[in-house]
Amino acid sequence: MPKQPGSNLSAYLSHELRNALACIQQFGKILVDGLAGELTGEQREYVGIMLENASRIRSVLDSALDGVPRPPEKCANQVERVSKLET
Amino acid sequence: MRNKKILIVDDDPDVLQGMHLRLKANQYDVCLAVDTFSGVAEARRSEPDLILLDLGLPAGGGFMVMERLKLIPTLAIIPIIVVSARDGLGNQKRAFDAGAKAFLQKPVDDNQLLAVIRQTLGEPAGAKRPTLQDQGAV
Repeated sequence: MPKQPGSNLSAYLSHELRNALACIQQFGKILVDGLAGELTGEQREYVGIMLENASRIRSVLDSALDGVPRPPEKCANQVERVSKLET
Repeated sequence: MRNKKILIVDDDPDVLQGMHLRLKANQYDVCLAVDTFSGVAEARRSEPDLILLDLGLPAGGGFMVMERLKLIPTLAIIPIIVVSARDGLGNQKRAFDAGAKAFLQKPVDDNQLLAVIRQTLGEPAGAKRPTLQDQGAV
């Protein structure tokens, strides 16, 4: 990890977070696409939730690096899921 | 028709494994390297049709791999797609100046990666390569 604060730290964090995120998304899609065996509907749904949240992290990361802070948007799927839980 | 061979050079074993799985499932032959020296050595040994190259590699880095390959006429013509977690601002221009065909910033969507690979290899856009499942192997 770089000792100097500022842009070096930002670049370091960006690099490490993007690499980790790449792996999460890549293996999540491998599971969803059945490359490691077929998933049940429930398993597919849960991996889908993971992927959706990985996309949110990416969105936050991109926004932060652009210097334009934006709150992560909740997609329609998430709102629908929350509604289901509440009923 | 033989499968196209792709060399992946990345120091992250998880990235290597994920890309390996995805490319194999799309009927590409895959070889792997984890640092600058082994990247050049594996390119010499396997003479791939295309290289997916990370920039942040031990013992030199992706740009050094590109410089070394340029010095070897049979390897200088292999198309390179840079796949890096580094920011795209300066690195993208530098990669294109060094001869890269494309620059993709991690995390890369698999469909986007496959589309760029197909385009770089001159394969028809959107052409679906038969998967293992299509062939009844899974």
